[in-house]
Amino acid sequence: MAGKKKKREKVRRYYDYSLLVTIVFLCCFGLIMIYSSSSYMAALEYAKSDGAAHYMIRQAQALALGFVGMLIISKIDYHFYKHFAVLGYVVSVVVMILVNYTPFGIERNGSRRWFGIPGTNKSLFQPAELVKVALILALACAISYLVKWIDKLRVVILLLVIAAIPTYLVITNNLSSGIIIFGIACVMYFVASRKKLRFAVILAVVAAFVFVVLEFGDQLVSLGILKDYQLERIYVWQDPGAYPLDGGYQVLQGLYAIGSGGLFGKGLGNSLQKLGFVPEAQNDMIFSIICEELGLFGAGCLIMLFLFMIWRFMVIAQNAPDLFGGLLVVGIMAHIAIQVILNIAVVTNTIPNTGITLPFISYGGSSIVFLMAEMGLALSVSNQITYEK
Amino acid sequence: MNRTKTYQRKKILLFCLITALLLAALTVRAWYLMVDQSEYYIEQADQLHQRERFIKGARGNIYDAAGVLIAGNRTVCTVSVIHNQITDEEEVIQVLSRELEMEEEEIREKVEKYSSREIIKTNVDKEVGDKIRLYRLDGVKVDEDYKRYYPYGSLASKVLGFTGSDNQGIIGLEVKYEEYLKGTDGMILTLTDARGVEIEQAAEERIEPVAGNDLHISLDVNIQKYAEQAAYKVMEEKGAKSVSVIIMNPQNGELYAMVNAPEFDLNDPFTLPEGTGEGVSAEERQDLLNQMWRNGCINDTYEPGSTFKIITMTAGLETGAVSVSDQFYCPGYIVVGDRRIRCHKTSGHGAENFVQGAMNSCNPVFIETGLRLGVDRTYEYFGRLGLLNKTGVDLPGEAGTIMHDKEKMGEVELATVSFGQSFQITPLRLLTTVSSIINGGTQITPHFGVSVHSPDGGQVTVLEYEEEAGVISEETSRQVREILEQVVSEGTGKKAYLPGYRVGGKTATSEKLPRRNGKYISSFLGFAPADDPQVAVLITIDEPEGIYYGGTVAAPVVASILENILPYLGVEPSYTEEELETYQIGDAQVPDLMGMTKEEAAAALKDTEFQAQYLGEDGVVTDQFPLAGETIGKTGTVILYLGESSD
Repeated sequence: MAGKKKKREKVRRYYDYSLLVTIVFLCCFGLIMIYSSSSYMAALEYAKSDGAAHYMIRQAQALALGFVGMLIISKIDYHFYKHFAVLGYVVSVVVMILVNYTPFGIERNGSRRWFGIPGTNKSLFQPAELVKVALILALACAISYLVKWIDKLRVVILLLVIAAIPTYLVITNNLSSGIIIFGIACVMYFVASRKKLRFAVILAVVAAFVFVVLEFGDQLVSLGILKDYQLERIYVWQDPGAYPLDGGYQVLQGLYAIGSGGLFGKGLGNSLQKLGFVPEAQNDMIFSIICEELGLFGAGCLIMLFLFMIWRFMVIAQNAPDLFGGLLVVGIMAHIAIQVILNIAVVTNTIPNTGITLPFISYGGSSIVFLMAEMGLALSVSNQITYEK
Repeated sequence: MNRTKTYQRKKILLFCLITALLLAALTVRAWYLMVDQSEYYIEQADQLHQRERFIKGARGNIYDAAGVLIAGNRTVCTVSVIHNQITDEEEVIQVLSRELEMEEEEIREKVEKYSSREIIKTNVDKEVGDKIRLYRLDGVKVDEDYKRYYPYGSLASKVLGFTGSDNQGIIGLEVKYEEYLKGTDGMILTLTDARGVEIEQAAEERIEPVAGNDLHISLDVNIQKYAEQAAYKVMEEKGAKSVSVIIMNPQNGELYAMVNAPEFDLNDPFTLPEGTGEGVSAEERQDLLNQMWRNGCINDTYEPGSTFKIITMTAGLETGAVSVSDQFYCPGYIVVGDRRIRCHKTSGHGAENFVQGAMNSCNPVFIETGLRLGVDRTYEYFGRLGLLNKTGVDLPGEAGTIMHDKEKMGEVELATVSFGQSFQITPLRLLTTVSSIINGGTQITPHFGVSVHSPDGGQVTVLEYEEEAGVISEETSRQVREILEQVVSEGTGKKAYLPGYRVGGKTATSEKLPRRNGKYISSFLGFAPADDPQVAVLITIDEPEGIYYGGTVAAPVVASILENILPYLGVEPSYTEEELETYQIGDAQVPDLMGMTKEEAAAALKDTEFQAQYLGEDGVVTDQFPLAGETIGKTGTVILYLGESSD
């Protein structure tokens, strides 16, 4: 019907500005909340250097780097990145191996999660964040090539191996990142696959396993399937008040913060729990400080914003010029969605405690830099969408 | 190139819907935590953040009858440490152990203890507290506090009592009036961070402390002081174990003084007298302290002896069992049942009437009176006069009367009770009962507390006590007073005679149990003026050495007390003609002493009762005051100026 008009109308390139604005807003909000939640303790801890702004300054620097990177990445056609899929995957696996088994791995707070220069104890970045981007790129590439045979067993096994190698490498030191990485892979495969039932079955099996763990935890431990500390975490989750000093401390302090927020919170900057009660309030538990200061209203707005972002990803993925672009955005969407859900669920003690940061908001340099790179990819896909006016 | 298929788009939508659903569920969860459970978590969080700092409410003061402060507060300090805030543990330990004179180990233990606040020492002098404050040590807090202070030290110690470390009354009036005196603590609620450091800008919630009420009591510092001096004097002179004096207004039961010598220092109540309590166990030490704090006037009972004859006399006269003119004969003993009870005068008082019997304190006369009364009537009057109950005095730990059961009271028991033996009462019980006899028959409640005043003086609560009029008739009261006045003017109580005043009284010498070991309690109960008693005094001297007769040892002490306090209470002396003559009370003319030497003047004054006061070294009298021929009190002082004669 538009045959005549088509020639007259100019073909236009799309660019998802609403996504961009959301990203900018979330990042700025994150900076404010990092300052609010960390300034009191930072002023005490870094009294002789940066003082109260210590964490905020470092986050802002990483953010500036990431933001420039995002803009550059978004302006380049995403097909260009296809060439780096294999390279990125291999590099990320190698770096993970280096971190796990060589002195390049640096330990912080009892976990070997950092890549750094041996001997200097200087950490550069968390390779688990690199793995997320690399795997998204690699899987999007592989699936878009193999989509015709996507439900063949050989292909399934191949994809499983591609996902399992980095997952295994990450999960040994960082359970939560491992879960996220594998979760992203699952979502990408789920979208590409024609089947539905098998996923429902997998979900049912997972649910049954959770049920068994909750009901027969002791027996599983005695059978060696579950480890003691894992079972303990489950007990803490069920009644954090009973373990106020050990495992339950962080969760309990988080709950005090959330609960004392009420409908509209104590007002920005007025949290009391950030005064050393919630450990490292600018990190994983930052959502609890948001709840305390901004109340259910503020927390609700933030959740809505994340939901809006996911809706934008969905629009971009559905309208992507090809399956590769679509899957790329699906992976990114899955990453954000899983991480947001898990973080809020942990902070509100809806699931057992495991360290997961809140994207864009929590403090963490490598996390924000690689996150901004992912945003650049998503924007790049959106930029390749053409439409007629 | 592969395009995104429709089914794939649907699956993307499905994933988004699942995500939205999960986020919605988490929002509901947040709603539950932040709205439904909010109260619980706010409370928990507040407990975590709030530090309560108590501000002590001052304890009420105690004032004597003239409004003189006898128990007040002094500012002291409490020194405590907050582990989290300490930056230099060693310095804190060093400074505190030096300034507070405590063992380093003791302080170290508290400094290293991980708690929000650990008290190092309470009741630290303000000067020491200020000094510690000047060190500006991190984590060391010096808070001001009140400590009870007794300006008169040991005065009326066993009556006033003292307070413990929490400012709570421990003995005496401080315990009895605890609920009026104690202040209500205030509170400062401050917010702290995880280390326990108070947040500077945070709003403080403050609950102001309320000071306790002031107590005004009937005790008079001057009377108490004088009675204590007199008690200590006789205790020393007679080498007695202890001396108690109670001075009471017999009309309404107000206690003017209550002495239990030896007293103890109220500002240092946990220190035993010198020479005791060395090397004893903690338990024994506590026993010794309790012994030291004991108020013998109300906590201990004794056999009253002859002073109790006043009660037998009253019951006998009131019931008509005896009359003042009844004749008796005392052969030195009386046979009751199968027992022969001796009179203190073994040769016997011979023929005497009832009044003479009382003046002689003759045992057979009162045994006869008791036997005439019989058990029922004796018991009835004991009841009426309150002897079987406690007095209800406003002091803790009053002892009850130990008396034979009515059913087990035979003739012999009745006979011994009649002259004050074989049962025990407290000194205060005895004085209270006698007061209600001599005041015209009104049963009274002895007490110290007069009124309670709010700290600003705005509200005054007058304390009220039970009174019961008409327990005996006015007539009997008058008769008893007259007989007791005669006991003092002509009988065994002669040494309590005080010219210018009508003093009534009764002596007693009780042999302590077990008998025949030479230990006595000498006592005298006196009151004045005998026609309208304003003051009643009971002195008991425990184990005097040497002469132990109440009439000789105790009566003069009461006379000297009365001589001083009656004018103080506004009771002026009025001398009879006979007294003026006998005691040469009156005025005299000052002779002319001018020009005399010191020796001559002394000789001239020798025949008079004047006291001479010489000013100057030698020479002759150049001036005198008062001048020759002036009339002054016959025992007055004449001032003589000595110097070179001007002639």
